[in-house]
Amino acid sequence: MTLQLFLQILVNGLMIGAIYALVASGFTLILGVLQVFNFAQGQFYMLGAFATYAVASVLGAPYVVAILAALAAMALLGILVYFSIIKWTLRYGFFHTMLATVAFGTIVGQAAVLKFGYSTAVVAAVVDKTLALGGVSLNSGKLLVLAGALVVMGLLYWFMRTKIGVAMQACAENREVACLQGINAGKVFWVTMAVGCALCGVAGALVVPVLSASTNMGQLIFLKAIIVVLVGGTGSMAGALLAAFLVGIVESFAFQYVESFAPLVIFALVAILIYFRPGGLLGKPLPIPGQ
Amino acid sequence: MRRAMLFKSNKWWLIPAFLLAVALPFFVGAYRLQIFIFVITYSLLALAFQLTMRVGLPRFDVAAWWGVGAYTSGMLMLKANMSFWLTLPISVLVSVVLGFAVFSVSVRRGMMVFMMFGMVFALALQQVFGSVKFFGGWGGTPQLPPVTIGSYVLNDKMWIYYLGMALLIFNLGVYQLLYKSRIGRAWSAIGSGLRLASSLGVNVVGYRLANVLVGNAFLALAGSFSVVYQAMIIPTTYGFQQSIYVMMYVVIGGLGFAMAGPIVGALVLTLISESMRAAQQYQPIVTGVITVLIIMFAPWGLLGVLRSRVVSVLQRLLSSRAALPDIPSSLGSPASVTAEEPGKDA
Repeated sequence: MTLQLFLQILVNGLMIGAIYALVASGFTLILGVLQVFNFAQGQFYMLGAFATYAVASVLGAPYVVAILAALAAMALLGILVYFSIIKWTLRYGFFHTMLATVAFGTIVGQAAVLKFGYSTAVVAAVVDKTLALGGVSLNSGKLLVLAGALVVMGLLYWFMRTKIGVAMQACAENREVACLQGINAGKVFWVTMAVGCALCGVAGALVVPVLSASTNMGQLIFLKAIIVVLVGGTGSMAGALLAAFLVGIVESFAFQYVESFAPLVIFALVAILIYFRPGGLLGKPLPIPGQ
Repeated sequence: MRRAMLFKSNKWWLIPAFLLAVALPFFVGAYRLQIFIFVITYSLLALAFQLTMRVGLPRFDVAAWWGVGAYTSGMLMLKANMSFWLTLPISVLVSVVLGFAVFSVSVRRGMMVFMMFGMVFALALQQVFGSVKFFGGWGGTPQLPPVTIGSYVLNDKMWIYYLGMALLIFNLGVYQLLYKSRIGRAWSAIGSGLRLASSLGVNVVGYRLANVLVGNAFLALAGSFSVVYQAMIIPTTYGFQQSIYVMMYVVIGGLGFAMAGPIVGALVLTLISESMRAAQQYQPIVTGVITVLIIMFAPWGLLGVLRSRVVSVLQRLLSSRAALPDIPSSLGSPASVTAEEPGKDA
């Protein structure tokens, strides 16, 4: 293997890992704080990609504006879903909320198929040059995705240390005690939903110039987010970030060498990890009823 | 004497339901009958889902194990020229042995890991079915040989329907025996209070594993049954989306009804999607909206609504105390949602 090929695969893995990291951290956040297993998480990613396509390609706005539009739209949609569906099903327990998000995801997925069909929507590449690094050329579009994702992760790190972010962590730790300390759980819940969905929207917006948008991308990334959460440990944000890059790189190399059997390699990785480290890389078991 | 007992228990509706099911092929045509054959298959899947819900484990690999049954039977018939009836026990065996290997890792790690690991397994398995040349690729297997009984070729829809009914009744009977036995009581105990059950000496991991493997055996039978009426096996049939539909069947029918809930849910949803054949692309949306509405306004499903209505009407008529619907607390009755302590690994 040449250095060129190795670095290209590595960059691919890092880029896809960064995208997994954003989606999976949104998923983990909602799972940890609301204790909702959000099946519709991938659909927010898909909608974010299509929102970017609509703003950047159809309306012709700059790409940065499109990213912000996707972020805002997905945050609003997340709040809407919380107040219209999740809030009313939370009291029936874990399984019912999960099923409500399943049904919502199905509706959104099929509506997207009706609107956009099975074709892909392409957004013009933001940068189409290649970056030459000591005789090795790398796709700078992919590096840009990686950089953007790292910026978003930094923002998330900052956000989790603000007052509302700390309140979210407190709710994830122990909801009753957090409420006794005067934290408004209702407010924390909708903010969590907004942040978790906005993360997916941004991930979709970042990835669309490189990979283009299609209606089935939501379900695919959801299953990848599940793998990331299993590897990283349920309820651990740092674990999710670490695992996302690990899964991205392993998948990227596996795809190069065994092509369509890459899911099997990932499955083996997950199985071995679950066997030897039940909590994942950095995780601890979640306080989910009926565990 | 026996008849009196049957009527005294609230199972009297089983007789007309059974007669209706037996008489059905005489009223509907071959095309309609095929729809009811699908209903039987989906009921078998939903029953397996409901079985595992009994021990507090939602599973999303139902369609994958269904595929294991179908592919085992289909491949043995194609490559080894085996009789369909001989492949049935083999597909059950394959499903249970493979299931033991997969679930002995994940069952002991609790509900969350079990659920997510099942999804990852289903994804990997579908990839295997689609990508390995031996299984025929994404386009499906070659044409399957017909299923025969002696020299008679089983292609009459009516007999396929009766075969499915026999399988369904066998499945219900086995589940009923299990639910009434010591094993079933242990399952209920695990479902309604995991920590209490385990502190009373119930082997939680062992009983959960047994539960999941019983489900696997019947899923494999359902898969083999689907070989009877399919010309070929296509891997995408056994994908994640089908597992999601199975979950919807169970909830729409009623989570508190171990036997009738999955069947009613499968029947209602299949008939709805069939009646929308002209507008096929809107069907998932309608199904999704119905599911959301049922979760929000009738969390115990259609049968839950029916039962509480019937009971309240009976109460008014007889002005006596009829039994109210009993809902297993494992399914998260409103009071127990937040009452549970942070759980450790099972």
